[in-house]
Amino acid sequence: MAVSIAKQGKHGHGVAGQSLVHDEVIYQETREMRLLGFVLFLISDVVLFSAFIFAYLYLRNTVTPVWPPMLDGKQLPRLDVAFAGVNSCILFGSGVTMHYAMEAWKHAKKGAFNGWILGTIVLGTLFLCGQGYEYMHAQIGGWSGSIFGASFFTLTGMHGFHVLVGVVYLIVLWWQANKGVYDETHYFGLTAGTLYWHFVDVIWVALFFLFYLF
Amino acid sequence: MAVASTTTTVAPHAVLDHIHPEPTSFIRKYIFSIDHKVIGVQYMITGMIFFVFAGLLAELIRVQLMHNDGRFVSPETYNQIYSMHGSAMVWMVIIPLVTGGFGNFVMPLQIGARDVAFPWLNLAAFWMFPVAGLLLFASFAVGAPDAGWTEYPPVSLQGPAGTSLWCIAIFLIGISSTLTGINFIVTIVKMRAPGMTFTRMPLFVWAQLATAGLSMIATTALAAALLALFLERTFGIPFYDPRHGGSPILWQHMFWFYSHPAVYIMILPAFGIISEVLPTFARKPIFGYKMIAFSSISIALLGFMVWAHHMFTSGLVPWLQLPFMIMTMIVAIPTGIKIFSWMATLWGGSIELSPAMLFAIGFLITFTFGGVTGVFLSAVPVDLHAHGTYFVVAHFHYVLYGGSVFGIFSGIYYWWPKMTGRLMSETLGKWHFWVTFVAFNCTFLPMHWLGLEGMPRRVGIYADTHDAVFWNQVASISSFFLAAATLLLFANMIYSFTKGKKAGPNPWGARTLEWMIPSPPPYYNFKKIPAVLAAPYDFGNPLPYIGLERVPGAEGPAVTRTPAPAPAT
Repeated sequence: MAVSIAKQGKHGHGVAGQSLVHDEVIYQETREMRLLGFVLFLISDVVLFSAFIFAYLYLRNTVTPVWPPMLDGKQLPRLDVAFAGVNSCILFGSGVTMHYAMEAWKHAKKGAFNGWILGTIVLGTLFLCGQGYEYMHAQIGGWSGSIFGASFFTLTGMHGFHVLVGVVYLIVLWWQANKGVYDETHYFGLTAGTLYWHFVDVIWVALFFLFYLF
Repeated sequence: MAVASTTTTVAPHAVLDHIHPEPTSFIRKYIFSIDHKVIGVQYMITGMIFFVFAGLLAELIRVQLMHNDGRFVSPETYNQIYSMHGSAMVWMVIIPLVTGGFGNFVMPLQIGARDVAFPWLNLAAFWMFPVAGLLLFASFAVGAPDAGWTEYPPVSLQGPAGTSLWCIAIFLIGISSTLTGINFIVTIVKMRAPGMTFTRMPLFVWAQLATAGLSMIATTALAAALLALFLERTFGIPFYDPRHGGSPILWQHMFWFYSHPAVYIMILPAFGIISEVLPTFARKPIFGYKMIAFSSISIALLGFMVWAHHMFTSGLVPWLQLPFMIMTMIVAIPTGIKIFSWMATLWGGSIELSPAMLFAIGFLITFTFGGVTGVFLSAVPVDLHAHGTYFVVAHFHYVLYGGSVFGIFSGIYYWWPKMTGRLMSETLGKWHFWVTFVAFNCTFLPMHWLGLEGMPRRVGIYADTHDAVFWNQVASISSFFLAAATLLLFANMIYSFTKGKKAGPNPWGARTLEWMIPSPPPYYNFKKIPAVLAAPYDFGNPLPYIGLERVPGAEGPAVTRTPAPAPAT
């Protein structure tokens, strides 16, 4: 779409905006750089989660003879798998809707895109509500009660924070998309949002396994 | 980069051609600048200021150790002084100087770029640094951290309020470091000038690439450790406190998973500086270009597999000690490859002993010495004896001061004319080197036998056995000379600003791209982005760049060579 290409040239690269072809080359090269930068950011974020997962597994395997650990002479219960399972399905479902939102955008189906991305936002919010409900009803002695609470609330809290950031990000993207910031060939923001959302999903797969099934 | 390199046809590379508009206001030009050169200099200035403060803390340590009865400061204050000295030197001086400082100023110039990939991110990353440094030093107001720069729990859990400030400050500088790492990787991978393949990159760029990978991956692990420490101190979330079911050893694993790679974050860029200085002042191609480049990468990779060698006395199970010991010893192989390559670079060169070169050669001596004691310490039985003694202090000052800081000094003398457009005084520079070199060795060499004879680190009151007081006095008095020598560097900077001769674009006759443009470089760096035909170290061959705007004097000063004697008839 010529309008938005010209816009790219005007905003980002004032000196070099001589021709549409040139602007297109700039867009593609900038996109590649941003994509690499964003993937590297996600990798460093993976390390953040990995370090806390290491802490959890280390504590679980070294300082307590039983798992869940003892608190005040009683062994703590396990977490409620059924509820978290349903909540996880909501989050994974939002990964699917995000995928379809992206596909709809690429095929210039704006109505479908709006539906799918709003669905993603709603599912993400539902997941956060579910997590809040779970926090209030988890019987594991609170955040500061034991190493179980410490690792569970810190890790899932960090993940929840990432989901919250993701929901806000998706709202911004949805607003941008409807304002005409992107077109069907220039949509780096949407790509980044999708990557981020899938990243949050994948982290949850690991956390669900480690806290509820393992 | 899909670019035909040996022919003159160069594929269009539009992003490289982009030029930021010239900043006009003072604030946009010097304070909130997005120009990588200005940001680099900002890192240098801020880092040097913190260097002075952290150095003064070191002198306080040495004053205390002049006598063994702790008559200067109380043990509590002493704990705060050495903890802050270490923390500030590592995070507020060396890491910002070698990555943010030299990396920002030199690396984009060397790859023929007009800026880094994300200039605004660069600006944000820089401004976290002075904020973090001020937060760190502000902790003195509420009781500075006192558990050493490593802040092992449970001591750090009981430490003064400043320990929490320490967590925030280091967390912040960590974010800065991660963002810079990401920025540099994208810059190096995506923004090299046409024809600059990976094996044509200057070795300093290779070093920055390896370092950026380390910063990007390791630093977030430290962020996790710091976050957990902060949560435990503030909200009592049990991670490290054994009374609440936590494990203090967990901190050691998380901390060293970052902090061992951090050692290589501090030294790899210095390796890069040395790799530029040695060939320039030996006027010889660098020996073993590829081996030096790949050994940087392998040191970076090995850096992630050796962290537990800091924990041999922590009750680590023996079957884990052995692999960590072996991996640590393996690090000596790529490092040795570098040392031998540098020595071979010097071999038969026409060596010019400028201050930069003197510091580079000094680096070779002291760093190698520190590297050898590092191999000692990697052996579990030796480490069990030397752990927590002055031997360790001696070892890491030989690699951090004799390595990183010598590298920084060398880099300052080398790139100062490029940064400021003026030359420094060679005579003052040589005095700086010789006083530093002698005083450095007299300060830290005695610590080896002090440590082996059992003097523990981190104590302000010690037993006078094996002439410990005498050797501590030798170290202390030498350290005063070491500090005084640094004043010579600052004097030289002032001299250069007031009376220094104009440097011209290429005072050393170096061949990397930053010397092909005026000094100081214009805000756009290169009028035309050059195409690169070869690695930059082939002294004696024509410069391997085409399409550069010709800057008078960029070939370097005319070198007078004695013509070969005519064959006898």
